Amino acid sequence: MEDFIPSLAELLEEESVELTDALDSFEAWDSLTILSMIAFFDSEYNVQLSAEEIENSETVQGIKDLVESKM
Amino acid sequence: MNLKFRNKKITGILSVVPENEIKFDDELENYAFSKSQSMKLKLIMGYNKRRVVSKETTVSDLCIHGLQYLFDTNKLNKDDIDGIVLVSQSPDYFIPSTSHVIQGKLGLKSDMVCLDISQACSGYAIGLSQAFMLLDQEDINKVVVLNGDTYSQKVSVQDRGSGPITGDAVGITIVEKSNEDNIIYGSINTDGSGSDALIIPAGGFRTPSTPETSVLVQDNKGNTRSLDHLVMKGDDVFNFVQREVPPMINKLLERAKVNKDDVDYFMFHQPNKFMLKKLADKMDVTYDKMPNNIVENFGNSNSATIPLNISFNLGDKILRNSYFLCLAGFGAGLSWSSLLLEVGHLDFCEIINYNN
Repeated sequence: MEDFIPSLAELLEEESVELTDALDSFEAWDSLTILSMIAFFDSEYNVQLSAEEIENSETVQGIKDLVESKM
Repeated sequence: MNLKFRNKKITGILSVVPENEIKFDDELENYAFSKSQSMKLKLIMGYNKRRVVSKETTVSDLCIHGLQYLFDTNKLNKDDIDGIVLVSQSPDYFIPSTSHVIQGKLGLKSDMVCLDISQACSGYAIGLSQAFMLLDQEDINKVVVLNGDTYSQKVSVQDRGSGPITGDAVGITIVEKSNEDNIIYGSINTDGSGSDALIIPAGGFRTPSTPETSVLVQDNKGNTRSLDHLVMKGDDVFNFVQREVPPMINKLLERAKVNKDDVDYFMFHQPNKFMLKKLADKMDVTYDKMPNNIVENFGNSNSATIPLNISFNLGDKILRNSYFLCLAGFGAGLSWSSLLLEVGHLDFCEIINYNN
């Protein structure tokens, strides 16, 4: 999971992200970014997420917890 | 379910697309997209151009146009057709079946089998499998498989998930007995518990269309549609495809005792560019061996995308050469299917327009 933060920053088109950042605060936060996340976690961590689960995660930390809970 | 067929071959493929082309750039105002989102969607999902019919045009019109063209150009003899297998989920009527409408309008012989199969994106391999089974009959020598839909009529113009990728088309594939001793491996799989992942909720016998079912409602993602429109759970479908398709193909290749490298092209159904690239990544197949350019040029026309994929990307080349193809379709049902077969030296492989 060490590349989790830089990967998430790349998906969100940000220089860097913090664990406490709210997902809907990012400019690139839309359905396409969510789909990119689903694809990313499927290919890199072999974890399948639904769009609803990602949306309900609210923060970067929330996504991290969600992914870890399914690994 | 594992399938195996002997001594069958495809001898011709014709794709029929409506002349009317809609460009994504021209319909941006229908969707609540920012400019940068639109650019990203064009690039990543392959939103660009799509072919759609006018309100009066149905699947039978496209099929009749294509078959009449084949008769007129002496590429197919009317009396040689012993069966029609039509795979579609946009029938002309509930009663009678669309294959019978086509048989009647073209004045084909009555000594023939006509079957409609209700399948969408996984329908190409399913239609061909049904045709192969019919060809085991002594008196059946040539079967025409018709694939396609006119779903553009059932997708809300304000549905930004499905709208920009939906296209209309039909594929006409001629299947015959082969004198060469060959084996075609295939599979068909089913998960009806996911039947709500891709559905038109109203319009059938369960929930007939009424003024109430046509009321437009906005969902939490900003898409507006009614119960008469197609609704897709995009993330569920994505996860389903990534989960089920790679193992299906691995098993198919294993059964046939061939390597991925032995396959010339993975001619897959075309849902969108993104999903196909992710599938290729997961299967460790290079993008040039799994074409993903049908949605950006024509749109997604359900079971017609594989024949269109072959006509568009191999076209004339498959008249002179032969290719070892792996076909796979996946979608509504949920349903996923595949075939592994040599296709080549076809009598025809082309795309024609229908003037809607």
